[in-house]
This record gives sequence, structure tokens and C-alpha cells, in this order.
Amino acid sequence: MARRQFLAILRKDLLTELRTRETLLAMFLFAVLALVVFHYAFDPRGTLDMTPYAGGMLWVVFLFAALLGLNRSFAQEKDEGCLDGLLASPVDRVVVFAAKACANLLFLALVQLLVVPLFTLFFVQHGYAGHAGGIALVVLLADAGIAVLGTLLATLAVNTRARDLLLPIVFLPLVVPLLVAATTATTAIIAEGAGLGAIGGRLLFLGAYDVVFLVAAYGTYDYLLGE
Amino acid sequence: MDASVWRRLLSAPALLAEAAVLLLGGFLLAFWYAPTDASSMGFSQKIFYFHTPIAECALVAYAVAFVAGVLYLRQQDAKYDRLGLAAVRLGLVFSLLVMGTGMIWGKAAWGTWWAWEPRLTTFLIACVLYAAYFVVRSTVEDEDRRATFAAVYAIIAFVDVPITFFATRYLPEGLHPVVFTSSGTGMAGSMLVAFLVSMAGMTLLLAGLIRLDVHVQELRLELEEFKRSLERGPL
Repeated sequence: MARRQFLAILRKDLLTELRTRETLLAMFLFAVLALVVFHYAFDPRGTLDMTPYAGGMLWVVFLFAALLGLNRSFAQEKDEGCLDGLLASPVDRVVVFAAKACANLLFLALVQLLVVPLFTLFFVQHGYAGHAGGIALVVLLADAGIAVLGTLLATLAVNTRARDLLLPIVFLPLVVPLLVAATTATTAIIAEGAGLGAIGGRLLFLGAYDVVFLVAAYGTYDYLLGE
Repeated sequence: MDASVWRRLLSAPALLAEAAVLLLGGFLLAFWYAPTDASSMGFSQKIFYFHTPIAECALVAYAVAFVAGVLYLRQQDAKYDRLGLAAVRLGLVFSLLVMGTGMIWGKAAWGTWWAWEPRLTTFLIACVLYAAYFVVRSTVEDEDRRATFAAVYAIIAFVDVPITFFATRYLPEGLHPVVFTSSGTGMAGSMLVAFLVSMAGMTLLLAGLIRLDVHVQELRLELEEFKRSLERGPL
């Protein structure tokens, strides 16, 4: 039962997005523009090797792109009264949370799939194809944390007067540890060619972060959605 | 001692008076009883008698806000919301003081006002984190909902603080494991006495200020109530 409800909500989110493509397009264009700005901010003459800064640039872009998507994911629900409909239906709140988090994760991953090759083309001067698996693992674990924490806080933000203004204020300081881990791991892989063994600690940390906030979300989500 | 004596000892004015005595004692002990540190830190080490207790109190305040948040969600009693608000407010003040005293010490010890040292960084992020608590509160009008959101936020924020400390301390180093080198656990006995007195005084100060804050909030509520009854006019 819960599985069908989960899939129904997820399908609804994906369908709405595929019909308009508003959110994905905004996230992608923002990411590309940010990369251009990074080039002119750090290396306007195109003479420096930017690989040591790769992780930082990449995760700043991902984080802000994710914020765009997270804000949209609930603003639409709220505007059209869809959220009220969801809450009135006999669906467990946890299922709503899981479906929304999964949709947010998918959107972010899709944008990353397009942005990472572009980023590599622009800024990375040596290949790291052999480490693609490591990068994918870091991205996936960090995305899960962003989606879980982001969905939780987006629910909080959309129910306040400040709405989309509030999300970055509460989300960014909470996500700092994840950002530190993901950034250093990404840089270690791209710039130093570090293998899975060398970034194992950070992968473990990212996984633990995901689990901790999953538990926190499970414990508090009911209260955020209200009656 | 019976309960009423305890209650009197733990009232806000009593707590603040006790704190004043202990803090003054700690101050005197730190400067005139404890020896000047033998290491290169010398006189600047004295700030530890205040800096560390303040840091401990900031974390205790956040822990109180966490517990108050959990209790509020469980019992939906507004008194826990008031307690949580008071605790976060004081935690934030103490955090700012930690950063201030930390920077003064950094200037004396390392010759720079700011270093990306894990503890200092963690408190910086904690300041941003708990400042946002007030933004959350100010953007919700309904009282019950505001209390609920504040409680959820205080819980999540408190979970994040140790994670931030861990991340800033152990992750950037990368391949090399950090070996914790304690800078002198062998504190001289007289130093320890001064430190503990100062610590106790600071903790009582925090407790007294939290009680005072809660009391002020209650008075404000009563005042509102009174105003409303006046507006309704004489019976």
C-alpha cells in the first residue's frame, strides 16, 4: 500500500516536471552560468590549473541549484492547493516525505549528469575517467543528504510567511558538514587521483550524515505538516 | 532541605547572586591564586578561565533548547517553547562571546584574529545556525505552529553542531589521521580550582539568565492578557 502511494506521488512530481520542465531548466541554466562566472572570477586569462578548486566550485553550484529545485518542489504544491489535497488523503506523512525527497534527489542527479561533463571540459585538465565510480559514489551520498535535509526544511519554509526566502537561511548552515566532506572528497579524487580507500572516511561520514538526518526527518516530519 | 528552600535557591535572583559570587571568586583565583602558565602562552592563558566555561555554557544552552524542543513536541505545552526560546537566545549570546574571547586569544597566541580552527569555525556556524532560529520564529504567526517549527529546528540544529565540529576537525586533513594532542591536561592543582570555580559560576549565570528570560516572557504574556481584558471594558 505504502509503496503504491509512494510511487503515485513520485510519478505525479515527475510528470508535472516533465510537462513544464521549468525547474530542471532553471537548475541547469543556473549551473552553467555559475561555471562561467567562476571562470571569470578565478582565472579570467585561462592560464591557471583550476583542478585544485574543482570540488569547491562543483559543490557550490550543486548546492545552489538544489536550493532552486527544493523551493519549487513545495511552492507549486502550496500554490495550487495540492498539498492540502495530499494531506487530506489517507497517506502516511512519511510516504509523502519519502516521495518528495526522491523526486528532489532525481532532479538534482539529472542536472548533475549534464553539468559534470561540462565542468570537466571547462576546468579539469587531465582525465579522471578511472575514478568516475568514486565521483558517482560521493555525489550520490551527498545528494541523498541534500534531498533528505532539503525536503525537510523546504516543508518547514513553505509553511511560513517568508517561504522561499527562509530555505537558504536554514538549509545552508545545516549542510556545512556535508559540504566539507563532499568538497574535500571530490577534490581529492579529481586533483590527486585518490582512490576509494583514501576517501573511505569521508564516504562513511556522508553515509552517516544521511542516516542521522533521515532519522531526524522521520521523527519530526509529522509535526511540520501539521493536522 | 525541603523543596521550598531548593526553590528559593534556584530562583532567578538567587542563581544570579550565586553566579556573581562564584564568578568574582573565579576571577580572583585566576589572577592571584593560579600561577602564570609556564608554557609559551604565559599570561594570555588566563583567558581560558572564562573562554572555556563560556563555550561549555553555550553548548549546554543548545542542549537545553534541544530537550525543550523534544518535550514541546511530545506535550505541546507552551512553557517548553518559552524555555527553548530563552535557551537559544542565551546560547547565541554565549556563542558570540566564545568567538570574541577566542579571537582575542588567537591574536595573543597565533598573532592573528582569525584562524580556521575547528572549534572557532564550529561556533561561527553555530551562530549562523541559531540566528536562523529567530528568522524561523519571526515568519510564523500562529503561536502553536511557531512553537512546533521552532522546536523541530532546535532539534535539528543541535544534531548538526557535533557533526559540524567533526567535519571541520577531521575531514579536511584527508589522508593523514589527526592525532589529538592535548596541550597540557596536567593542569596545576591551583589552576584547576580556579577553572572549576569559574565554570560553576558561569553555569549558574546561564541558569539564572534562562530563568530570568522565561520569567520575562511570562510577564509579557500576562501583560498582553491584562491589556486584552482592559480592552473588553469593565464587566
